[in-house]
Amino acid sequence: MDELNIPDLPAAPFSVDGLFKGGTTLAEERVLLERSKTMSVITDKVTIVGAGQVGMACAFAIVSQGFSHHLALVDMYEDKVKGEAWDLEHASAFMRGGLKIEASSSYDITHSSSVCVVTAGARQREGESRLDLLQRNVQIFKNVIPKLVEESPDTVLLIVSNPVDILTWVAWKISGLPKERVIGSGTNLDSSRLRTFMSQRLGVAAVNCHGYIIGEHGDSSVAVWSSMTACGVRLRDLNPKAGMEDDPENWEDLHQRVINGAYDVIKAKGYTSWAIGMSVSWIVRNLLRNERVTHVLSVHAQNLHGIKEDMYLALPAIAGPTGVQKIISLQLTPEEEAQLQKSASTLWEVAKELKM
Amino acid sequence: MSSPSSRERRPSLFEKGEASPNALQLAEQIASFHVNPKTGNIITDKVTIVGAGQVGMACAYAIMAQGVSHHLALVDMQEDKVKGEALDLEHSSAFVRGGLKVEASSTYDVTHSSSVCVVTAGARQREGESRLNLLQRNVEIFKGIIPELVKHSPDCILLIVSNPVDILTWVAWKLSGLPKERVIGSGTNLDSSRLRTFMSHRLVPVWSSMTACGVRLRDLNPKAGMKDDPENWGELHTQVVNGAYDVIKAKGYTSWAIGMSVAQVVRTLLRNERNTHVLSVHAKGLHGIDEDMYLALPTIAGPVGVQKIIALQLTKDEEAQLQKSAQTLWDTAKDLKL
Repeated sequence: MDELNIPDLPAAPFSVDGLFKGGTTLAEERVLLERSKTMSVITDKVTIVGAGQVGMACAFAIVSQGFSHHLALVDMYEDKVKGEAWDLEHASAFMRGGLKIEASSSYDITHSSSVCVVTAGARQREGESRLDLLQRNVQIFKNVIPKLVEESPDTVLLIVSNPVDILTWVAWKISGLPKERVIGSGTNLDSSRLRTFMSQRLGVAAVNCHGYIIGEHGDSSVAVWSSMTACGVRLRDLNPKAGMEDDPENWEDLHQRVINGAYDVIKAKGYTSWAIGMSVSWIVRNLLRNERVTHVLSVHAQNLHGIKEDMYLALPAIAGPTGVQKIISLQLTPEEEAQLQKSASTLWEVAKELKM
Repeated sequence: MSSPSSRERRPSLFEKGEASPNALQLAEQIASFHVNPKTGNIITDKVTIVGAGQVGMACAYAIMAQGVSHHLALVDMQEDKVKGEALDLEHSSAFVRGGLKVEASSTYDVTHSSSVCVVTAGARQREGESRLNLLQRNVEIFKGIIPELVKHSPDCILLIVSNPVDILTWVAWKLSGLPKERVIGSGTNLDSSRLRTFMSHRLVPVWSSMTACGVRLRDLNPKAGMKDDPENWGELHTQVVNGAYDVIKAKGYTSWAIGMSVAQVVRTLLRNERNTHVLSVHAKGLHGIDEDMYLALPTIAGPVGVQKIIALQLTKDEEAQLQKSAQTLWDTAKDLKL
């Protein structure tokens, strides 16, 4: 096959390398925009595996916001997924630009996707821990992941199924893809829930509230208090004890509400869909358009923050059509780093027992 | 009572009269801009959605994701479920520019001061149930909904989505006491396979209106849509009628398309975009229709309701079909106990 003459991408306007002369760089560069020889064109085709509540919320969010005009939906139940596809296609009259939605129970329609979103998996039951879902989902992934890679060898895999960190690791192992091209939705939604609660407490728009929740998506997630700002003002400048045990304003309550957030919704309506759909849609938009926006994604975290294990954890990262490009170097406290390391080793203890 | 002069509206480009007195009127003016003396016509973007089922939630999601409104009120009989749905939506607010507030309850106090109230609630047809019986059950449901909505938002526009949409929009209008311009129906939904035949009668294809890329279909094929059409464009009509039915058969209901449709209509209402949509409007006096009934026609509607109805140039056949639809609907509606 001839060598394709692929020009280098221009330097990102957001690059901060060089700004911090003598200081630490903001972003740890993982992959220097590696380009595959076969990928010369980035299409906006997105595959979504799993046409349940989460998959369809992702699809509808992507389509209604115009982030992609070409979806491929795959689900075991062919009738249902075809019905969902028609329903979405009927919405194209209300959109600028047409819509092509393919649907099947087999994977041939997924070929040449830029991003494959995997939502397939057993649903988290009320009170069931995320780890309990695990082995059920590994079997499903053994069926799904190789087919996706076969049809779209240059794709970015975006894993949403829970427990997302381990399943992203599982997907990576099964796929044979470089680790930069397999990511998980991580704690992006947790962080956005945190921002919602911050905005409610402070009375300002969530879009002006920032803060990271990182690490293991679930009960052991880490709230990075030093990262929390609202309208440009750092929370800890206003309240130095924010998030600590003796915090008179009890900001840790927000973190707990985030952890319980999904459980609250599941208890009330049976599952969650809308928020995760929006979260995934914005990650997908970022991947397709190479916007270089930071999202908190499950990425391969070995050798970061003292993590020794071969495991995925959520960290703020910049990802594009070729996968993860940079991981933000957060200035964590020793306690926060210790929590991350503990999560990594807990997840590794479970993952190494899995039959792959 | 005069409106505050600072809020007096400049004459619209679309106002009847001054611009072209001799030209054919494109649009039948229904109501001029009415300024509410109490509120000065301040339009908020608060939207109420009654019914948190598949259709209601698809409407809510489409509205939220596209930034059509940043303030929703959801009402459903099942308080837990609707509160869960509201929580789930609110958790998306970091992804929506401009924040998001979603209130939810099984009671109507949360709906106060809405600009638009979308009604998706309704009974599902039971096996063997007559159409009249289903309608009467829906009338009872609407008696619990419509007066509450009007009480809490006396200036709102009621947008009825529940099926059968024409009759139920008419019912909503009768129960609301609102002027007919402020009660409209969104006519593209199918929530029961049994209503398919109902739909095929009320969906009148206006072949003269069909264009693609600026070229009129009938200029290319003068027989388009007729019985002896060699290209069989009439099949499109069948496909439309069956389209929703196919979705229902495959996935059990439709949601996404109607959600997007309603979101677009709501956006037009809130932003006064003056776009034309095919909405169920009071059709008496138009196209030879004598009955006091609602039918779907291309309409321009805004924050104060229907402003104009497009004067379509219909063939005799098309007009006859519309008149027949109106009669059929009226024959059913007149037996309802309101």
